[in-house]
Amino acid sequence: MAKQVFNVKGMHCSACVMTLEGLEDELAGIRSLKVSLHKQRAEIDFDEKRISEDEIRKAFERAGYGLARA
Amino acid sequence: MSFDASTNVLGLAFITGVTTGGLSCLAVQAGLLATSVARQAETDVTAQLAIRHVVAQRKKRSNRKLTKEQRRSERAALATLAQPEKPKRRSTATPIALFLAAKLIAYTVLGVLLGWLGSVLQLSPYSRAALQIGIGIFMLGTAARLFNLHPIFRYFVIEPPRFITRFIRRYAKNNASTVATPLFLGTLTIFIPCGVTQAMMVLAVGTGSPLLGAAIMFAFILGTTPVFFGLAYVATRLGEVLQTRFLRVAGAVVIILGLVSIEGGLNLMGSPYSVSNLLNSAAVSIAQASGTYQDVAAAQPDANGAITIQASNGGYSPNLIKAPAGKPVSLTVVTSGTTGCTRGFVIPSIGFQRSLPETGQITISIPASAATGNLRYTCSMGMYSGYFEFT
Repeated sequence: MAKQVFNVKGMHCSACVMTLEGLEDELAGIRSLKVSLHKQRAEIDFDEKRISEDEIRKAFERAGYGLARA
Repeated sequence: MSFDASTNVLGLAFITGVTTGGLSCLAVQAGLLATSVARQAETDVTAQLAIRHVVAQRKKRSNRKLTKEQRRSERAALATLAQPEKPKRRSTATPIALFLAAKLIAYTVLGVLLGWLGSVLQLSPYSRAALQIGIGIFMLGTAARLFNLHPIFRYFVIEPPRFITRFIRRYAKNNASTVATPLFLGTLTIFIPCGVTQAMMVLAVGTGSPLLGAAIMFAFILGTTPVFFGLAYVATRLGEVLQTRFLRVAGAVVIILGLVSIEGGLNLMGSPYSVSNLLNSAAVSIAQASGTYQDVAAAQPDANGAITIQASNGGYSPNLIKAPAGKPVSLTVVTSGTTGCTRGFVIPSIGFQRSLPETGQITISIPASAATGNLRYTCSMGMYSGYFEFT
């Protein structure tokens, strides 16, 4: 298990937060995903054996947001 | 604020809705819609694939001769599979329409509550002015956030509690498309307003009128509807560049709304620094310089200190009265078929505020102690004003 903080690009309202937190249910291997609009950050607790950082980043990009390690 | 005086604000609310209101909330709300209609769509897609499969199979076998019986059974199979496709077009558009209708109604009701809240908060002209200025600052902050000027402006958006967003998200996911689901989800969107919507909500509070609060929210949400419906229906995303441009337009409109609100607040406070008062002063100065000052504006009370002003839908006339300092004035305000916001008559510095009759008159005694310097009178929203100049 890994807990990692990322910078998120492209969020402008709480709807974005909701969209991104919805990925928690969609991506297998993510235990928790907390997004802060104010800090423009995401704190992701995930199982590296089941999902890679790259896969998470791609999922964020598909939703229209950028993700990079903080 | 009256309907005629607020037409501009309603128009701006509508334009904000059309340009960006839909977009800024679209990500999540289209997502909600998509999940609520997903099951239906999934069924349709499966059916279509099955039809294609049968057609392809048939083409493959078209070289060989089919018996009448085989043809009939294939046609029957196609007909059965094609059936779910027919209601599809209706069923994709219907949930979206229901969702948006519910959203429109919910926000209009919310507008009534916000306007009512604003009317309850209306304690005095000064508190109201402070509220309006606060709203204006919130809007400017929202605009600064849209322009991404500085990270600190992100705090100008209020985040709904996590449990609400989680509940809405999971409800959308776990409930199939029925009439109730999109209606319920549409209603729930009032709990997840985006930044621009929040700006409209504070604007509704600022009207201090349930009716106008409802009108602003209705105009704004109505404005968001076509964009929303279009984008949700064709299920495409705007390019990021275009979206950024739309956000800039929203930012500009919100800045205008913010400035209008602050201007109203300043007028309501009787501040000489509002734009309209500064312009008035400038006009007077220019008139004085050119020697036409008396002709331009100033009216004077009669020998008994009585003066009458007309409150029409377009403002107060005269809006500049010159009177001797230290002498009481008996001010009569006359209305004649006036339905505008000028009916809410306020003299901030003597704490006077009253709603004028549509047609009629009221007389206000301005005590000698208040007859000094400039004494401003204004409508209850600070949109129209005038002043006494005691010399």
